[in-house]
Amino acid sequence: MVESGEKENLMELVRDRLVECGWKDEMRIACREHVKKKGRKDVTVDELIRVITPKGRASVPDSVKEELLNRIQNFIVSAAP
Amino acid sequence: MSARISFLKNPDPCNHLSDYKLRYGTDGYKSFQKLFRCFNDGRTKIKPQEIEIPRCSYCSVYHRRLYICLICRSISCSSHILSHTQSNKGHDIAIDVERSELYCCSCIDQVYDPEFDEVVVSKQLIGLCMSVKSGADVVAVRSNKKRRLDSQLIIGSKFLVSSRDRREKWSFPLGLRGLNNLGSTCFMNAVLQALVHAPPLRNFWLSGQHNRDLCPRRSMGLLCLPCDLDLIFSAMFSGDRTPYSPAHLLYSWWKHSTNLATYEQQDSHEFFISLLDCIHENEGKSKCLYKDHEECQCITHRAFSGLLRSDVTCSTCGSTSTTYDPFIDISLTLDSAKGLSPADCRKNRNSGEPSVNAPMPTLSGCLDFFTRPEKLGPDQKLNCQSCGEKRESSKQMSIRRLPLLLCLHVKRFEHSLTRKTSRKIDSYLQYPFRLNMSPYLSSSIIGKRFGNRIFAFDGEGEYDGSSSSSSSAEFEIFAVVTHSGMMASGHYVTYLRLKGLWYRCDDAWINEVEEEVVRGCECYMLFYAQERVIQKAHKELSYQVISMADAFPFADC
Repeated sequence: MVESGEKENLMELVRDRLVECGWKDEMRIACREHVKKKGRKDVTVDELIRVITPKGRASVPDSVKEELLNRIQNFIVSAAP
Repeated sequence: MSARISFLKNPDPCNHLSDYKLRYGTDGYKSFQKLFRCFNDGRTKIKPQEIEIPRCSYCSVYHRRLYICLICRSISCSSHILSHTQSNKGHDIAIDVERSELYCCSCIDQVYDPEFDEVVVSKQLIGLCMSVKSGADVVAVRSNKKRRLDSQLIIGSKFLVSSRDRREKWSFPLGLRGLNNLGSTCFMNAVLQALVHAPPLRNFWLSGQHNRDLCPRRSMGLLCLPCDLDLIFSAMFSGDRTPYSPAHLLYSWWKHSTNLATYEQQDSHEFFISLLDCIHENEGKSKCLYKDHEECQCITHRAFSGLLRSDVTCSTCGSTSTTYDPFIDISLTLDSAKGLSPADCRKNRNSGEPSVNAPMPTLSGCLDFFTRPEKLGPDQKLNCQSCGEKRESSKQMSIRRLPLLLCLHVKRFEHSLTRKTSRKIDSYLQYPFRLNMSPYLSSSIIGKRFGNRIFAFDGEGEYDGSSSSSSSAEFEIFAVVTHSGMMASGHYVTYLRLKGLWYRCDDAWINEVEEEVVRGCECYMLFYAQERVIQKAHKELSYQVISMADAFPFADC
């Protein structure tokens, strides 16, 4: 899937969907909150990733998950020899 | 997501980055230019040509966050990046493969270098075949959801050689922009100019604390004046100098205050109070934990709210009852007969000059008048607790807590109920550019009454040192709203003080003026800010060049 470039396409699709539904903004706000709490100088990118990732994973809308699953299934079916 | 102008300076590079720069300069960055691959949504990836799928050289994963070393181009995942640094001395700086962001392996954190961002951006521009316009220093980019580079993009002087012609409007401070008169709306324009340049408000909106794209009220189709203000702030600070029409705000305000929705001239002060009230209503619901305005954390109250103290004293037994009321502005009576301050009287007597018949009213005179002990009339008798019956009393106002921004309103419009007429008081009021409010604080006023005895403050608990420290009582003026002409057909103009220079804002026309012009004007609303607020704002305004990282927020993941 990676080789055909389909993964790249799907990644871009997911990115667009997540921006559209406001998920990205929510994450941005969550990051801001965390930085505000810890203080600008005390936060590293890695820490943010560690803290925000679970929140992010949990708040992806089902519609986005469904769409992605369908696309992947279609791809596998169509690429089967 | 919209980009905002950052008033913060670039983060300092870590030691490792500085060392790297000393040794290699920008050559390392430039060598990566061929490897950058740019996408429509603004992201830039690194695509090493030899390998199709980048993998960690230690563990072969490809689905984790990967970093490519600037020096040896070896790729490591986040778990193994530390081992790479440890086994290769000096290989501290790497680039995030997916995002083209600098990463310091020793500090285990992202680092930033404007020169690196420049290299990335230049690749993006080459990719888009854009010509870069030369022009003034800077401007904010309001990017749309797709984050396509705007063809109107004007890039900071790091990229281009541009000499500024000081006579041009480009040399005006950021945020200075005329406002079109939409039909006797100078009353609104005047207040907007003052508010747009009030540092706490400016920072609040420009830092995205009320973002119209994220506002829940607006998304439900409800009226939201802070959203309209967000639009105005973006427009004012966009760098576009053509006069702006604040139509949305006007419309929203009309809907809100339908009784004032006419094309007649309105009162600037009334608009000011009404606008602040709307903002409080919108913002306050989520932030106001207490019904009492004193504790409200909405931007209006954080900026303008102070506390007044009122002491009513029984003339017979001397017992006093004290109450506190919040305020967002102070309205001062301007009566030329009472304008004489004690200092002026002394001056007249000492100088031996014949005393002037009509002494010149001064702002301090008005403030003295505001805080004077006032004998209440016989119809306003106080029910005295200790005397047990209604007694004649006197009242005295003082300021318990000063706000960050102090708005002083000069009552020039007199409405007489008995004669059913209104008139405008045209007298000139002398006012200072620097104002020390300590003489009007409760501590001073009450202290004077009781000879500075501590017991005067019993009931207040700990004496609040911070509110009376001399530094927080020093104010500097930043805006003056003036009214000229007759009552119903006058004209409002605002003078703004930015970085020590004065600018006259007359609807769509803005020009720099001399100090004397401002001193001699007929002031109607005076906007003072605590001196630390002004000092901070000065520093912020000098960071006019936005860093590349802020102009192109591609770092979002």
